[in-house]
Amino acid sequence: MSDLLTGLLQESVSGIALGCIYALIALGFTLIYKATEVVNFAQGEIMMVGAYINFFFVTQFSAMAGGLTGWVFIAALFCSIIFAVFFGIILDYIINRPLKGEPVFSIIMATISLAIILRSLTAMIAGPISLVPVSPFGDSTIKTAGIVISVLDLAIIICAVILMSLFFFFFNKTRWGIAMKATSSDSETAQLMGIPVKQVYRIVWVFAAIVGVISGVLLAPRMALLDTSMSYLGLKAFPAAILGGFGSIPGAVVGGVILGIIETVSMGTLSFHFAWIKEINDIIVWIVLIAVLMIRPDGLFGIAKVKRV
Amino acid sequence: MKGRYEDENLKWIPVLILAVFLLPFVLKGVTFSYKYYLYILNMAGIYIILTVGLDLLSGFTGLMSLGHAAFLAIGAYTSAILVDQAGLPFELSLIITPIIVGLSGFVIGFPALRIEGMYLGLTTMGFGFIVKRLIIALREWTGGAGGLQVSKATFFGLTIRNDWDNYFMIYTFVILAVIIARRIVQSKLGRAFMAIRDSEKAAQASGIHLAKYKMMSFFISGMFAGFAGVLFAHTSHFISTDHFDILLSIFFIVMILVGGVGSIYGAVLGTLFIVLMENLFIPLFEDGLAQIIRIESGELQVFIFGLIMLLFIIFQPQGLYGMWLKMRIYWKLFPFNPRKRFT
Repeated sequence: MSDLLTGLLQESVSGIALGCIYALIALGFTLIYKATEVVNFAQGEIMMVGAYINFFFVTQFSAMAGGLTGWVFIAALFCSIIFAVFFGIILDYIINRPLKGEPVFSIIMATISLAIILRSLTAMIAGPISLVPVSPFGDSTIKTAGIVISVLDLAIIICAVILMSLFFFFFNKTRWGIAMKATSSDSETAQLMGIPVKQVYRIVWVFAAIVGVISGVLLAPRMALLDTSMSYLGLKAFPAAILGGFGSIPGAVVGGVILGIIETVSMGTLSFHFAWIKEINDIIVWIVLIAVLMIRPDGLFGIAKVKRV
Repeated sequence: MKGRYEDENLKWIPVLILAVFLLPFVLKGVTFSYKYYLYILNMAGIYIILTVGLDLLSGFTGLMSLGHAAFLAIGAYTSAILVDQAGLPFELSLIITPIIVGLSGFVIGFPALRIEGMYLGLTTMGFGFIVKRLIIALREWTGGAGGLQVSKATFFGLTIRNDWDNYFMIYTFVILAVIIARRIVQSKLGRAFMAIRDSEKAAQASGIHLAKYKMMSFFISGMFAGFAGVLFAHTSHFISTDHFDILLSIFFIVMILVGGVGSIYGAVLGTLFIVLMENLFIPLFEDGLAQIIRIESGELQVFIFGLIMLLFIIFQPQGLYGMWLKMRIYWKLFPFNPRKRFT
């Protein structure tokens, strides 16, 4: 019995790390949704592009420096974030501006087509061979009370917590954050009040791209191989966001962590004890999604929307 | 019957139908590889039946479905099991399977009563994943991830031996599907669908039972998809879960988007455009490109799809059928400049 318990605890920790990745992806499209009401289905692809770009910089810099040192990873992360800034600006021009005020259907399809384009472009440029990403922390682990935690998982959790609190603070306390809130509730009135709506949109997309790239950088070493199927994780972040309540930052965190734990635990210990869980563990997030939408469509932290006629 | 199809030139319809049935003979006369073209056209026909049904759901009722490949899968597997394992005749399967798939449309239509827009898209997408997993889990009947062999169809004593026979069967059903879909659209049912799409509140205020009509929409759309599924199973003779990917569901949406959302002819045009593009034009141009740069063949295709889709959404939201309508009106009013009115 204690064996089962240790296993569950062990998997919960790695589930929290996975959940933090979900939460970061969910944060990416929550940001965009909050300001522009656009639902970005391409967030997973932005994450994948980030992972590839970071891999590229790491290999380039380590060739230049003659070895993998800590500085290589820091420089690569820095360059990836600079890339993310430009990437976000480009996405704002391509997706956001031409589609302002179009119906939801078109916007969803536009972001899906962006996702398709990004995925195939990455596959064409990077070639068909999967890459082997390197972790800046190697395989080092920390052992406490019978539970082994990898340093990478710990770093993911810490990074996620820092980013989340930064964005939460930004949204609620700073001038730009409040400007974004105003833009999201009514962009025309916001413009009349002197808020530079175009710049708000651009900043939001840049932030989403940065969050996406960082989550890609964090997730890549956690996977054994880096290929374009990584972007499908982006789809799994949607159930997380909906579980927490779409458009709420704390909701994204809580939903992400809960789903991460559910997924990891059902994949690990439980599937050895119950055969039927083995059959459903890769669709468990979707079952959760449908259940949440049927029972409480606004999620845990969401506010019920009043429909405008 | 003037009034119902007032704005249309119905005398062209018989000519068009005749052309559809003469096409294989023309192809046989023109090229040696006509069998390949017939196979592609057959696939296009199957997809047309499905996208016409999808258009009734997404284009006319405004309920987004990102999981229509799942309905196709249910149809294909149900028919394969009914015909090969239960020993039912093919004709009976053509009737039973669409009803079963339509009922499975209820399963997904039920949560759809409470949710809309993006949430519905995600739910149907999740439904797609769940169905795929279920098919693998029911491996006693479906053969699991290994796939399933399907026998050749026998239609009232005639065995559908090759793509030539199949073409005539499929396109008879395509024409029937288009006619039925157009009748639905012009009926009370279709008007209710469109009212729901334009404004749920207003539709409800005018006495339209939202739940009933949304369920009807899912049922009808599921039936079309089930029909397509039966034909799919007996055309490709081998089905596995890999055929019914999430990407296929997205391509179905691309087809109706490119053709023009909310028009039956648009769905037909868009499907033909995408399928012919995929199988005829892109390979041509890919070969040329592959000599210049080394490129993964499948990826370029997907890339071009994404690009077409994005360009259509941004620049031509009415799709191909909308373009055609604009052109027709332009020529009708030619000496006067209608451009100002239709931009």
